[in-house]
Amino acid sequence: MTQVESPSRVRPLDELDIGSIVKIDERITGIYRPEVWEERAGYYLRRDPDASQVVEIGGKVVGFMLGDIRIGEFGLEEPSGWIERFGIDPDFRGRDLGKRMFEAMSAHFRAQGVTTLRTLVDRQDAGVAGFLGALGFESSRLQALEMRLPTATS
Amino acid sequence: MKVEQLTLEKKYHDAVEHWRRHYLKDYDLLLENWDKYFPKDEPFCLCAKMECGTPDTVAVGEHAGEKKRLTPDQLTEDEAKHLLAIIRAQASTEFGSIQQHAGTLARAQDDEDRFWVLRVMAEELRHGYQMFHLLLSQDWSKAAGGVKGEEMVEEILSMQTGSHVLDAFNLEYDSFVDNVCFAALVDRVGKYQLTMQKVCAFRPMADSMPPMLREEAFHLAAGVIPLRRWAKRAAQGDVFISMRAIQKSIHKWYPRALEMFGDERGGDSNLRMGFKDMKNREAQDLYIEEVTRMVRDINARFLRARFPDYTIDKVERVLDELERGRGRHQGVEYDDLLRVPDRRFFRRKGEPAWTMIGADGEPFADVDAYVRYLATQLPEAYLASRDMKTYAETVRQVAAGTLPVAEAVRRMPRLKRVGGNCPCSRSVRWVVEDPAPTNGH
Ligand SMILES: CC(C)(COP(=O)(O)OP(=O)(O)OC[C@H]1O[C@@H](n2cnc3c(N)ncnc32)[C@H](O)[C@@H]1OP(=O)(O)O)[C@@H](O)C(=O)NCCC(=O)NCCS
Ligand SMILES: [Fe+2]
Ligand SMILES: [Fe+2]
Repeated sequence: MTQVESPSRVRPLDELDIGSIVKIDERITGIYRPEVWEERAGYYLRRDPDASQVVEIGGKVVGFMLGDIRIGEFGLEEPSGWIERFGIDPDFRGRDLGKRMFEAMSAHFRAQGVTTLRTLVDRQDAGVAGFLGALGFESSRLQALEMRLPTATS
Repeated sequence: MKVEQLTLEKKYHDAVEHWRRHYLKDYDLLLENWDKYFPKDEPFCLCAKMECGTPDTVAVGEHAGEKKRLTPDQLTEDEAKHLLAIIRAQASTEFGSIQQHAGTLARAQDDEDRFWVLRVMAEELRHGYQMFHLLLSQDWSKAAGGVKGEEMVEEILSMQTGSHVLDAFNLEYDSFVDNVCFAALVDRVGKYQLTMQKVCAFRPMADSMPPMLREEAFHLAAGVIPLRRWAKRAAQGDVFISMRAIQKSIHKWYPRALEMFGDERGGDSNLRMGFKDMKNREAQDLYIEEVTRMVRDINARFLRARFPDYTIDKVERVLDELERGRGRHQGVEYDDLLRVPDRRFFRRKGEPAWTMIGADGEPFADVDAYVRYLATQLPEAYLASRDMKTYAETVRQVAAGTLPVAEAVRRMPRLKRVGGNCPCSRSVRWVVEDPAPTNGH
């Protein structure tokens, strides 16, 4: 980066970040869905408010990464740190901001005794898959399976 | 980060349980429904939680660099007294807010909102329990002038809305709007206090903060998320919730919240003694800035719901325009939005105590005009309260010059229990007592 950068800061999520997350999500997906993020922020804030992270540039939130620790999921008895939803404002990509939030989150997980991080990715989404690969995620022995149910007719 | 969980000696634990049967009647309902509203969350635990591995040297003040104190007798008498007042005030707020929430809890329109507040109440009970742990696991009798931990606990458990240490905890809620605005505004001050006390030179206090702060994050969400949802409903024309009702509740709580920081000119001793890392005004300034962001966020939610076709950038432009010009946009008036009252509005403690300033910072010269104005700005049910009556009497005397401000600051009457100390004895009366401390500073 050649231009002078405003300082960036990674910090834990708080309840006033919902508006920014809605905005970033809308910029990425084109969908405005405040209800979804209100519900999700409520969920992460009550479970483990120190895990999820946002990144600010010049005081403005430009990225978020949400997740928590879960035990016993799919018979996984060890505590796993799940990285679930993340997004960086398209204007602020490629500056290691995603990576820095990831580092803050994994440091928190490690301090809580987590030994494995987990996430799910759509393999066709090269951007997200590339990012996760660059962070060190590898294919897992566990495989995500799914099955379509016939729509109910009655 | 590890946490050690501790239980109080049985008789004290039982006393807290007894208290919550009076004031937190839906406790069992909460536990029964925990998995429905908070699936897979750690179950609630009525216990003290001490964070392990926090710094063991004093971070600020004249003892910076020294080892943190572990017992009251390692503090000077002055320091111990000061800290004891902080712990007592903190404990009073925790129990006080449960009593307030309980009054209007059942009026929540949505079960989810109600269970969120119930969880907040249970966690406040735990915070009070935590402060009791600090009072009871140590010998404070020297600092307390001979009063035993047991008596301090009894005193705190006997307080009720009207006899708590801080004014914000002596006001009844008028509706469920107050439950939510209180969480968004008053719990937010709690967050600041707890954050400042993370450095506390008394290690057991410092170790108490991180677990409490993690719970506080949800308390703020339990205020802000319903407010966001209400703003949307109000924008869409729901006649049962209005931005004006929310604004009136903000007018009721915000001045009391500002006063919880203590006098704007104070806070030096906390810093000097290493109990907090910010002075009162410094923390209050940050708080105001945060509330301003909150209000803007809720306003944006409102406008976007009113104008679903607008982009968020357009919403922000309209918001800027309305804030600047105080005019209207496509049928939305500036007055339809929320705003942060002037910091001097409706104050009775601190630097602007008993000045007559409107929510927009406009000064009033005539006391009757000011009282009439307040009546248009506060929740209607609150106007008929004891608090407002006393306020109006006092501000009139101050304006007439018959009561000095300093005396008025100390004069708000309190409820005093005249019977026994158990909450079962409800015989109380209003008295004007000796000077009430601010928040222990
Ligand atoms: C994926 C995303 C978070 C990356 O954010 P970012 O801040 O630009 O990433 P960083 O700058 O921190 O990059 C970290 C690493 O990932 C790599 N990376 C980032 N984007 C990549 C891409 N599109 N393809 C391949 N690798 C990529 C970087 O090269 C870097 O690797 P390095 O450390 O070896 O140099 C961002 O592009 C994004 O938000 N995408 C949309 C996400 C989305 O769809 N979210 C909704 C699902 S919840
Ligand atoms: Fe609390
Ligand atoms: Fe709280």
